[in-house]
Amino acid sequence: MPLSRRIFLRNGAIALAALGTGPTLEPRFLARAAAAAGAAGNPPGRKVLVCVFQRGAVDGLSMVAPHGDPHYYKLRQEIAVPAPKKNDADTALDLDGTFALHPRLDGLLPLWKRGELAVVHACGSPNGSRSHFDMQDFMEAGVAGDKSVAGGWANRLLSARGPDGEATPFRAVAMGGTVPRTLQGDVDVLAIRDLSTFGLREGVGPSRPAAGGDGAAPGTVGSIPTAGASGFEGLYAAAVDDVLGDTGKESFDAIAMLKTADPTRYKPANAAKYPGTPLGRSLIQVAQLIKADLGVEVAFVEDEGWDTHANQGGAFGQLAGKLMDFGRALAAFDADLGDRMADVTVLTMSEFGRAVRQNGNRGTDHGHGTCFLAFGGPVRGGKVYADWPTLAPDRLFEDRDLAVTTDFRDVFAEVCARHLGVAPAKLGSVFPGHAVDPARFRGFVRA
Amino acid sequence: MTTTGLRVRMFAVGVLFLGGPAPLLGAANEPTDSGTPADDARIVHVLNRLGFGPRAGDVERVKRVGLDRYVRQQLDPSSVADGAAERAVAHLDTLGMDSGHFVGQYYDDIKFFIQMQAAAGNAADMKMRFGLNLPDPAKPADAKPADAGAPAADADQPAAGYTTAAGLPNLSVLAGRDAIRCINELQHAKLMRAVLSERQLNEVMVDFWSNHFNVDVRKNAVRALLVAHDRDVIRPHAMGTFGDLLGAVAKSPAMLAYLDNNENAVARQRSKFEQGLIEWFVNYKLGMRGAAQIPEREGPNENFGRELLELHTLGVDGGYTQQDVQAVARCFSGWTYSPLGGKFDFTAKRHDQGGKIVLGHSIPAGGGIKDGERVLDLLARHPSTAKFVSRKLCQRFVADDPPATLVDQAARVFADTDGDIRKVVEAIVTSDAFFAPAAARAKIKSPLEYAASAVRATGGAFTSRGWGLFGKLSFVSEGGALLGNDPKLSKAKKKTLTRHVHDMGQPLFAHAAPTGYPERSAKWVSPGALIDRLNFAVALTRADVSDVNVDVASLVGTDVATDNPGAVVDRLASAILYRPLSPGSRQTLLKTLNPEGDARKAIDVNRAAALILGSPEFQRR
Repeated sequence: MPLSRRIFLRNGAIALAALGTGPTLEPRFLARAAAAAGAAGNPPGRKVLVCVFQRGAVDGLSMVAPHGDPHYYKLRQEIAVPAPKKNDADTALDLDGTFALHPRLDGLLPLWKRGELAVVHACGSPNGSRSHFDMQDFMEAGVAGDKSVAGGWANRLLSARGPDGEATPFRAVAMGGTVPRTLQGDVDVLAIRDLSTFGLREGVGPSRPAAGGDGAAPGTVGSIPTAGASGFEGLYAAAVDDVLGDTGKESFDAIAMLKTADPTRYKPANAAKYPGTPLGRSLIQVAQLIKADLGVEVAFVEDEGWDTHANQGGAFGQLAGKLMDFGRALAAFDADLGDRMADVTVLTMSEFGRAVRQNGNRGTDHGHGTCFLAFGGPVRGGKVYADWPTLAPDRLFEDRDLAVTTDFRDVFAEVCARHLGVAPAKLGSVFPGHAVDPARFRGFVRA
Repeated sequence: MTTTGLRVRMFAVGVLFLGGPAPLLGAANEPTDSGTPADDARIVHVLNRLGFGPRAGDVERVKRVGLDRYVRQQLDPSSVADGAAERAVAHLDTLGMDSGHFVGQYYDDIKFFIQMQAAAGNAADMKMRFGLNLPDPAKPADAKPADAGAPAADADQPAAGYTTAAGLPNLSVLAGRDAIRCINELQHAKLMRAVLSERQLNEVMVDFWSNHFNVDVRKNAVRALLVAHDRDVIRPHAMGTFGDLLGAVAKSPAMLAYLDNNENAVARQRSKFEQGLIEWFVNYKLGMRGAAQIPEREGPNENFGRELLELHTLGVDGGYTQQDVQAVARCFSGWTYSPLGGKFDFTAKRHDQGGKIVLGHSIPAGGGIKDGERVLDLLARHPSTAKFVSRKLCQRFVADDPPATLVDQAARVFADTDGDIRKVVEAIVTSDAFFAPAAARAKIKSPLEYAASAVRATGGAFTSRGWGLFGKLSFVSEGGALLGNDPKLSKAKKKTLTRHVHDMGQPLFAHAAPTGYPERSAKWVSPGALIDRLNFAVALTRADVSDVNVDVASLVGTDVATDNPGAVVDRLASAILYRPLSPGSRQTLLKTLNPEGDARKAIDVNRAAALILGSPEFQRR
């Protein structure tokens, strides 16, 4: 790469500091400069992958219920999702005669009908552990159990495909305070807790009004203040500490660039309504970043609280409430991005599923297979992709769980290959220890 | 291993760690009055690892006492007077309160919540999220309760004082709710003690065990049980034996509620009497009045059993199977807490009295509460536990990837002393690996460590500002934000120290997953978190942290000319970092604070301090 955008930005900021340009002028200057450099973010057709991790092991048998499997209602007397019934909004939403969406995921039904939502069922890891933490780690690393593999599969994916156009600090973004395992690795990653506070207060005293005129949130100076740039930015630029030094450089570049996106004035399009949940707040910010053409290639959001050991509920209750918020957040994201969904694939994932039989407290303990959802323009939707093992007692994994018939790595690999265009020869480096064979792809992404 | 082999090994351990007359740190490194800079670096290292960083004067104080003696004192917290910290937290009155009081309020809170939801016409949402069939407020007749036991006197009244005459939530009453306020008081006290306690190592260990035995204040009744968990379970055992601590945790109502063990029972049908009692409780005590369906059957729940093995003791690779998880869960069936008192309770009729096999050990039928106790014994003495816990301790005190030999040595001490926490910690913090160059500044501070060390370095004092009604109200909204209700609060300009630690990524007592926060400190490095740290550094030095006052100017001292930029920066750097700035950093600082390069200029010392606190150097310990 000739002159990386990141160096350009840093030099730009430093040059501004030297010139003494006021902070309110700076963002527009940068925007113009960035545009002039022809490097602005997502050119049409830049592919984006959004990963949504459901932490705690979601009950795939409730999310997409196998109502056509005769064993389902036998094994889940009190917490099964009621079988589809016409004109009853509290029963499952039939998809294909065998599977049905949970009624509280009704927000996703239009996507299904448009052929943009696919389900991959009986999906998971060949590893039989029921430890949340190991299994999250393995799934995020893109391995079945090899603890010696460092970093995450989506970071290796970015290394394997190389930047799409010119790389920006926003190539890989995680919403949250820390970089999740999925995105750890050689490629620089931004972790952002809240776009509107992603700026420095440096130089703002209590008695001085916040310099927020350029769209920064009150109380922050989003653009790098003239003198402050040499301050923290200088300290981190000069740092001998490679870990922190790199982190600092990433942060300052992103702050400068973000100002061109003006996060505080964002209004979702198409009357999209995000729920006020952490997932809703994360997704609205991912939508902003994508629409601002900042160069996002992979975004990662997570949602906690799927570990339903007690009083899980069926059409109503704890899990139903979680699913309602989950479905609404995803549907809002889809509506908000509108036409831009043509280049976006959203993939949901969870470390494993839950035991087929309910436990003693109308909850479910840790299980094995679960289901992933995929939607977006590139998805060949309107179909449940599964080699369904059935819930017959002799087909259960270790006598208790939904068996896994689709390796999650083949799901990830299909997205890498067909959506993000990673050459088949390079997939091996993304999923070490796994012989990726396109013949095993389920076909939920258009080739 | 043969007995001889064991003896030889124990002897080696004894020589290495258990001391004897030889000075702990070795004669060559014995600090003297005329300490060299190398000694200072050792002292700063100890203050950073055995505590939350140096305060002004600490290095000199340790030098006077002698470093090894200081370490010994820290290992024996009862020998260290700690009046200042205890006086500082004395006004946090919920910390002395009883769980029974909190659970009573917690039930009232649920009742109030349901009343407010019903009044607001949120019946559909309540049905969806909680499976509750709330009565239609338009038809009061709907509210007829099921034929359960005698209703409590206040069953039909809103909980006292919750609402104003206009039917709105009465904020000043809500603000005083002990069962809400206690969350903030716990968080606040944790920070105050981290900053103020002379028993620094004890506070580090309390934090370590709180995290090892993580509970989340946001789950169910945990917030009503957390004060006792911190006060009566973690703190008394933080420097005791692992077995005692583990036993106390397994009987801690907060843990039982957090990992659903209060629900864990043998598969059974409840008696009519029990069922009636539960229905009375739910309908009247929780104010649900027939809105909830209460199943008559209960049964096993393996959540606690699994995490006990995976996270509390053996570790995920510690050699147990799914069968062990289920057997352990059966051993703990019936371990719960009393619904009114919030105290540990073993309900024998809910216990699975069958025989079990745990890790190859047979546990005969009919053991009752002894089943669980036997399992705890087995686990506390298991070699995998020694290794797993020792490794985590080495990660906390030494490095993210501690040398295997150190972990093995610590695990041996663990095994040989029956899990004497002091001995294990002593072995680690007096080892060569602890003082090795590879360990120096190898750890990135957690947000808690960063915030506490910054306040300590700048001589910050907690203020009483923010208490009284206004403070209580802001505590309630902070509690609300913590419980996930109001993200806007994190954008407020003036935030408490607690809130800053929250925003930097470490909400205290609120990690959702039972793993707790990572001991691998590299996980704290991310661009987003760094921005929040820098903003904290600025806020602290600009009097923008609402409950802490710092006086940066006093750090400069009277012997430095305030109009000499270089001298002021150097003094601040040595007061905060205990090491000189790198030439590059120094130049950057001076360029920032004195852009014209004037020979004489009174620079902005607050800003200078903010830059030093935010610098990469101060992010490490």
